[in-house]
Order: sequence, then C-alpha cells, then structure tokens
Amino acid sequence: MKQLIGGSTARTLTRRSALTLGGLGLAGVTIGAWPRLTGSDIPGRKAEGLTIAILGNSADAEGRRGLAEEFHREFPEIDVHIQAIQGADWKDFFAKILTMVAAGSPPDIVYVATEGAQLFAEKLAEPLDDYIRRDADELREYFDDVHPSLVEAFMYQGSLFQLPIDWNAADMYLNTSTLHEAGLDRPADDWTQDDFTEMLRAMKKSQGAGFTPFYWTNRLFGGIVPWLYNNDTSFLTERKAPGGDWLWDGFYPDDPARSTRGGGFIWDGSNALDERVFESFDYMRELVDEGLGVRPEGGGGNSLVGLFSSGRVGATPAGGYWAQGLHEAGMGSDDFDVQFFPRNRTQRHQFGTAGYAIMRTAQNKDAAWEWLKFSARRESMEMAMPAPTTTPTRRSMVNASFYAETGPNNWQVFYETLDRFPSSGPIPAPPEQAAVENALIKNVTNAVSGSSRQTRAALQNLDRDLNLVLGSSR
Amino acid sequence: MSDTTTDRIAAGSSGTSPVGVRRKPAPRGRRKKNLFAWVLLAPTIVGMGIFTIVPIIGSLLLAFFRWDIISRPEFVGLANFADIALDPTVRVSFLNTIVFVVVAVTLQLSIALVLASMIQERMPDWLRVFFRSTFFFPLVLSAASVSIFMGYLFNEQFGVVNWLIGLVGMAPVPWLTTPAGAAAVVIIVYVWQNFGFSFLLFVGGLGNIPKDVYEAAELDGASGIKKFMNVTMPLLSPTTLVASVMAVITALQVFDQPYVLTRGGPGDSTRSAVMVVFESAFEQLEFGRASAIGLVLMLLIMAVTYVQFQLSRRFVFYQ
Repeated sequence: MKQLIGGSTARTLTRRSALTLGGLGLAGVTIGAWPRLTGSDIPGRKAEGLTIAILGNSADAEGRRGLAEEFHREFPEIDVHIQAIQGADWKDFFAKILTMVAAGSPPDIVYVATEGAQLFAEKLAEPLDDYIRRDADELREYFDDVHPSLVEAFMYQGSLFQLPIDWNAADMYLNTSTLHEAGLDRPADDWTQDDFTEMLRAMKKSQGAGFTPFYWTNRLFGGIVPWLYNNDTSFLTERKAPGGDWLWDGFYPDDPARSTRGGGFIWDGSNALDERVFESFDYMRELVDEGLGVRPEGGGGNSLVGLFSSGRVGATPAGGYWAQGLHEAGMGSDDFDVQFFPRNRTQRHQFGTAGYAIMRTAQNKDAAWEWLKFSARRESMEMAMPAPTTTPTRRSMVNASFYAETGPNNWQVFYETLDRFPSSGPIPAPPEQAAVENALIKNVTNAVSGSSRQTRAALQNLDRDLNLVLGSSR
Repeated sequence: MSDTTTDRIAAGSSGTSPVGVRRKPAPRGRRKKNLFAWVLLAPTIVGMGIFTIVPIIGSLLLAFFRWDIISRPEFVGLANFADIALDPTVRVSFLNTIVFVVVAVTLQLSIALVLASMIQERMPDWLRVFFRSTFFFPLVLSAASVSIFMGYLFNEQFGVVNWLIGLVGMAPVPWLTTPAGAAAVVIIVYVWQNFGFSFLLFVGGLGNIPKDVYEAAELDGASGIKKFMNVTMPLLSPTTLVASVMAVITALQVFDQPYVLTRGGPGDSTRSAVMVVFESAFEQLEFGRASAIGLVLMLLIMAVTYVQFQLSRRFVFYQ
C-alpha cells in the first residue's frame, strides 16, 4: 500500500503480493483437485448400494471382498461395501453399531451373533418372514442343510430375523499329549462330569508346575453357562414364545424335535437362586479350589491358543473355530482332539450362531435380502469360510475334507452336538444382553472363589443385578 | 454510583466524556489488530462451541430424558437421578473412584516428586535427559494397549510377575481375580502410566527455585530432609497445587485401565464412575441415565477442584 497525492490510498500490486496471490491460487487449485473425503464417503451415507458391517479388521473385510465382487457380478446394479468394525467382543461391536445409528449413518446389513440377535430383533432389524415365504422354493435347499436349532436361535416372537451362516458349540478340546501322559485315552461320548474331574486330576498329577488342567474364560459363551446347561438349568428363566409354525411346518415338518420348536427363546427373569445353579457354580468353585481349573478372567481368551498349543493347558471348552487357530499355532491333527461336553443331569450343550440381519433403516431392503440369500448359498459360504476358522451352518460343508489339513480327528463331534443333543440351546441373550452379560461376569469370579457361603452370596448379588436389569427394561 | 458514572449522566450520554468531548475511536491499526485476533481465535471458539459447549448443554438436557438412541426421547424429569441414587452399582462405582483417586494421586505425586528431586542431583546431562524421557514415555502410549499388555504380565497362571514371584519361592498371586489384587493392578498400571506428567511439572518447579535460598538455608544449618521440608516443599507448593488439581481431575475420570484389565470386576470392585456412564449409555442404551451420572461426576469434579483451590490459600506459598 502506498500513500498517493491528495491523501487518498489505493492498492497497487507489488511483486511480492503477486507471488503471494499466485501461491494461494495454486494451493487452492491443488486442494480442489485433491481426491478427498466428503460426507458421502461416510459409510451408510450413500443413498445407493449396501453397506454391510462385520465384526473384524480390514483384513476380515478384505477376506470378504471376493464374496462382494461375486455378488456384484450377479447383481451389477447393487454396490456392496463391506465395513469391518473392530471390537474386543460382540458387545463392543454392537455398541459401535449403535453409535452409528445415533450418528445417522447406520449400515444396511449387520452380521449379528446370537449375543445380539434379540437386541437387533427388538429394536433394529427387519423380520424376514415375508421374504422367506415369497422365496420358499429357492430357500428349501438351504433349510434342508441347516439344523433347525440354529434357525430357532434367530426366531424372535414368532418371526425369523437372520439366516444362520456360521456357528459353534461349546465342545471340549483336549490336548492329546497331556491326555496320554496322564495315561488316559479320549473319553467316551457319554462321559460324565465326574469322569471329567478325574481326568483333570490325572492330568495335574502327570504334569509339573505351570500347567493348568482346565482353562475357562468368564464370558457368556463357554464360561459358566455350559455347566449350567448340562445341569439342566440356566441363570435366566427360559421358555419359548408362541408362533413360528409357518417356518417349522414349511421347512422342517420331519424334525424329531418339532413339538419343542416355537417362536424363539424368551429369557426374561433371573434364575440365579435355583439350587441347580448353585450346584454348578459350587462345582466350578471346587475345581478352582483344588487347582484343577483357573479362576476365570474376562475377555475372549486370546492367549489361549498359545497356552493350549504349548501344552500348558489340558482341556478347554471351544467350538469348531479353534481348529484353524491350533493348526496355525503348530499343532498337528493328532495333537488335539474334541469331545462332547461332559454329562451331568443332561448333556445339553451351549451354542452360538451368526448371520446377516437387515436393518429397518436400510434404504433398499430388497437388495439387502438378495445379499442374505446370496450369502446363504453353499458356494458363497465356501468362499467365506475356506478354512475351519468357524463351523459352517450347512451340514454338508462340515466334512472330512474341511478338516483334512487341520484336524481334529473327531471333527464329526461339531455337528453331531446338535443331532445327538437336540435340546442344546443358544447363548442366553435377551435384548438386554450387554447388561445381562455384565451382571453375570461380574459375579462369576466371586462365586467360584472362596467358600460355598461366598458362592451363595455372589448368586444373591447376581439375582439382584439381573432383576435390576430385566425389571427396569420391562 | 461512581463519580465517573454521575458525570456521564450529567453529560447526557454514557458515550461522551464529562466535558462533552466525543471519545476518540480506537486507532484504525488497533481495530485491525483486534479483528485479526478474533479471526485467529474464531476456529477455536467455533470448535469449542460445537464440540464442547453444545455437547455439555445437550448432556445436561439429556439427563432429564429417557432415550435409547433408537426411539424418541421421553421426558422423565428427575427420574434418572432417583434411579442412580438407588442403584448400588452406581454408588459402589463412585466410592471406588474416590478411593482410587486418593490412593492413585497420592502415589502418583509422591513418586513424581521423589524422582524429580533425584534427577535434580548432580548427574551428567545425558543421563538426566534419559531419565526425563523414560519417565515421560508411558504417558504417550495408548492406555488400552498398555492395559492389555499389563493384563498378560499380571495373569495368575502365566504372567511374568507371578513367574518372578515364584523364583523367590512365593505362591502365585491372583492379581486380576480377587478384589484387592485387581484394585492394586489397576492402580499400579494407572500410576505407572501417569506419573510422568506430574514428574515433568515438578522438574520445572524445582528448576525455578533459586539456588541462593538453599545456600541461605545451608548457612543457617539446614540440611537434607530439613532443607526439603522447609525450603523445597513451600517453594514448590504452587507446582504441587497445579499437579494435584490436574492429577485429581484425570483420576476421577479413570476408565481405560479398569475397563481393559478387569472390566470392573471381580464383582464391582474396580468399576469406576466413568465405566458406569459408558455401560449405561452403550450397553444398556440408557443415555439419559448415563448423562445423569456424568452430570453428578462433573459436579463432584468441580467440588473437589473448588476445595483444592480453597485449601491452597493456606498451604500454597507464592514468592
């Protein structure tokens, strides 16, 4: 700026100003041309296409890219975006989905496990009944191949909300070297809880310090619940909702357990003060007290594969998902094996399953249904599950070739769990699952530590917490 | 009413001086400077408004509603506050938090002060830099990652800590599966990760104490502990106040360590107030209740900070 004659001011373009302006202009053009994120890049904001949320990391999303590409080839008008969401467990994953809902960018489809099935059915997911009735002929082959117990786990108040894709039962994994060193063979199919205790004692005797005969984690799947189920009880009251006949009569008319099928499970009250619940907790307390089992910590047992494969753990409950993990940890197919959960009053097993749910907020539900049907095809499931990182819900896929590379030798146990024990039930997960799980896991450790009196006190607390959770929400 | 105001009224205008001369407008350069300052401040003010003030107001309002994200919010008055007053888990979590703050902050400040005093002693500069960096390093790590790692170290069956304890013939300690053990681990991990900040404050504070004060104390016959208690502590008290206020505010909001290490267990023994806020909101879908708990926690933090500043009038010595 320069002072001109007459006292007025005016702007003149100096060389420095010109260079500055030129630089700013260049920067503006560069920024304008740079590919950048916009609002439409936020998953769920795009009007067209399907956003599918799964629990996992970017590698898991990448693993399903082939499936998405195959789908897009068949349905070129439907774009698919797989969005992996990381979480320590399903509860974490569901919390993140809820924040996406709150942010106004919910996915169209979510891969939901049993833990969240009723939460989604109650608040977020679209029932599939009309679609299933419409495409019944196309789906008959799927239902013929999938056990009705798995389907029933996704029934809620008479409607079906998901098609199960993968599942796992809480069977018992055994370290065969440890077993042999204890002078034992693989137990019989109908082994009892007492046999199990004796096996742990023998293992402990034959191993040195730093060895744990039985390792379990404090969570809904594979924690205390299988011990409650095999004692013909649970920490929640359990009954079946009416309805669902349209599905059972239409697809499973010859199911031997047809009379027990209904419109889905209802877990709406505390059963923590049942004497059988105390018995099961007290049994676990005795195992801990005798040094046969660990005092359970929370979490998903991430370090367990390493401990089991290095021979520091003798037995642990897990599902078919463990086969690949143990194989990758260096265990041969003869180094470990699997057996049914031991019998107590019953041999009822616990299982969990997972499948895609269509969100009520999905813009294009018909397209979402096409994805669900596509994912339930055998070739799609083969693409999604090339190795035994989980158990496919299709019986035809659970075969010798699937486990040929990894083991276990008695892989038949996985699917036979449902055939042999048709009363086997899903993870007890009402719509208030997160709060129910919290109430359970926070009292388990106290219940299995110390004296029987402490067990009773912990169960009183569990009962109080469950009543607070279930009472306040109804 | 001040004389100036009376004069202004007499002059008939608050904008004019008593003698009726118009006040000089601010020089053009100053106005431009002010405008420039506002432009520079604008992003911060807008950011704080959107990301701090609005959420605080929203959270205050939400405390009077029942909202599960999915359905429409329903006004429930003070029901959320009544609900949390009756909830034993909320009561225990606040009690845990208070006990945690007392123990963790005491340890954090004590360790930081001792270590800061030690590195003020004569030592090579490179060693001093090494210690400063080492003690500060845990603070830059993710609390979640540290907690996962520490969880492995303190595992009862397979952890390194119990292995070391075993070397001296002691029985394994159930660190994470007993109330006392779990609380101890949460405090150890928290203090280990957070004392570095207080340490740096103390290092700065100690560096500002004039050497001649120590020399005068020495001439008067003071040495060792006496010098520390009668010279260092009083002159360091402003720093101690800042360090303690910040440490208390941070500790009252503890979440990561108990959430990852123990999930609040066994029982509710390590459940913190912020954990209950998180669980109420994202696990039980009770966002109104979560806001109510958050509001109570905010009031607690404000009250504790107020008390700290009130106490500082007695105990803080400004040169």
